[in-house]
Amino acid sequence: MFKLSSLAFFLLLSLTTKLSIASEMIKIPSGEFVMGDDNDRYAVSQHKMHLDEFSIDRYEVTNAEFAKQFPEHSFWENAGNHPVTNVTWQEAQSYCTNLGKRLPTEEEWEKAARGEEARIYPWGNKRPKKKAHPFYSGLIKRRVGLNKKDSSPYGVRDLAGSVWEWTASEAEGKKVTRGGLWNFHLEYEFSKTFDCNLIDPSSRLPFLGFRCAR
Amino acid sequence: MRTLEKLTRRIFLKGSLWACALFFWNLLRGSSKAEELHTYEGTNFIGKTREGKFKNFYINFWKPMRRIDGKAWKLKITGLCDVPQSFSLDQLKSFNTISQSSRMKCVECWSARATWSGFPVSELEQIVRPQPEAKGILFHCGDEYKEYLTREEVNQERVLLVHSMNGEPLTDAHGYPLRLIAPSKYGYKNPKAILKMEYVSEHQAGTWSKIGPYSPDGTILPGTDHPLEFNKEPRRISGGEITDY
Repeated sequence: MFKLSSLAFFLLLSLTTKLSIASEMIKIPSGEFVMGDDNDRYAVSQHKMHLDEFSIDRYEVTNAEFAKQFPEHSFWENAGNHPVTNVTWQEAQSYCTNLGKRLPTEEEWEKAARGEEARIYPWGNKRPKKKAHPFYSGLIKRRVGLNKKDSSPYGVRDLAGSVWEWTASEAEGKKVTRGGLWNFHLEYEFSKTFDCNLIDPSSRLPFLGFRCAR
Repeated sequence: MRTLEKLTRRIFLKGSLWACALFFWNLLRGSSKAEELHTYEGTNFIGKTREGKFKNFYINFWKPMRRIDGKAWKLKITGLCDVPQSFSLDQLKSFNTISQSSRMKCVECWSARATWSGFPVSELEQIVRPQPEAKGILFHCGDEYKEYLTREEVNQERVLLVHSMNGEPLTDAHGYPLRLIAPSKYGYKNPKAILKMEYVSEHQAGTWSKIGPYSPDGTILPGTDHPLEFNKEPRRISGGEITDY
C-alpha cells in the first residue's frame, strides 16, 4: 500500500514538474523601470523607460519543447529539460510564432530580469559568492530552473545563468542577445541584468537559446 | 647455502629473460618510431614559446617536436572513407586557395589575428569520399597531439585547412606544413602540424579535453578577451568567431 502511494506521488510530482516547465508564462505589469548602466561601457546608459504589460516565459524553451515543433531537432539522452541551443534567430522566432507568441524585446527582457528596483542581478545587487564551475572552459547545461537563486523579482528564472538568449531587438545588423552562463571561464559568470551581446542571426551556437513573450 | 644459490640463479635467469623481452620490445618500438620519424629532418625542436617574435602570437605545442621535412611529408587520410590516400604538400597547394583574416582565440585568454590561406575540407572529401557512418575526423599531429571535430564542424563556412599565414608558408612554430583553422573554436580545436586525418564513427575526446578542463566542443564562449596586439586590453566578446576587431 505504501509502495503504491509512493509511486503515485512520484508520478504526480514528475507530471507536475513537466507541466510547470512547459510554456508557463509570467505577467509583467505595465510601468516604468530603469534600463542600462552608466558604469558598464558595454551597456546602454542608464535611463527610465515605460513598458506596457506583457508576459514572458518563466523558463527558457527546452529541448523537448522545441522538438515537438521541430522533430528533426536532436539532443543528448536525458537532456529533454535542458535549454534548447544551436538554433538560429529565425527558428527561435518561428517557434514562438507557432505558439501565438514572439521573442521578447531586449527592453522586456531587462525589465523581467531586474524589476522596478534596477537590480544588478535578478536576485539583488550582491555578487554570488559561490562559483558554479570555476575551472571548466566549456558550457555547463542543466535542467531549466535548477538554480533556485537565479530568480527575478517577478519569478522569471535563469536570466543570469544557464544560457544566453535571442531577443527580437537588433543593432548593427545583428540581433541583441541577453543572459549568461553557469561557468566562470574568461572571467565571466552570472551576467548582470544589463549585459548584452550582438550576434549574427544565422548563427547556431551551443550557448545560445531563447524564451518567448506575448 | 645451496638454497640461496638456487634462489640467486632463479632471480638471475628471470631477470635475464625480462631484459631480453624488454630489448626486443624496444627494438620493435624503435623501428616503428623510425618509420614515423622519416618525415623529420635536423635536430631542432619546437615547443611552447611566448618570447621575441612570438610575443604577438603565442605558440603552444603539446610536446616539443622535431621540424617536419615538407618534401617527405604527406598528409594521410585514413579510416571510414572509400578512397583513403596520401597527399603531398604540392598536391594540397594545387587546390583552389581561399584567404581569410580570422582571430585565433586561445582558451588561456589571449587572442591574435592573422590572414590564413588554404582550402576547405570539402576539397579533400570529394576525393577520399567519407562513408555515411563517418561522423567526425580525428587529427593526428606531429607533436603527438590529437584533436577531434565532427564532419559538420569541419565543413562549416570559414573552416580551412591552411598552408600559409600572412602570405608566407606556415612556419614550423605555426604548424608547418598544414594546420586547421576553425575561427569559432578555441585554439586547441585548431590542430597544428597535421600528419593524419582519420575518419571515425564515434565522438572522441582530443588530447586537452581528455586531461584538462577543456570542453570537447571548444566553441568560444561569451566573456572577456585579451588581444595581444592591443596590449592585452580586455574586450568583451559575444561568443563564436570574434569579428569585431
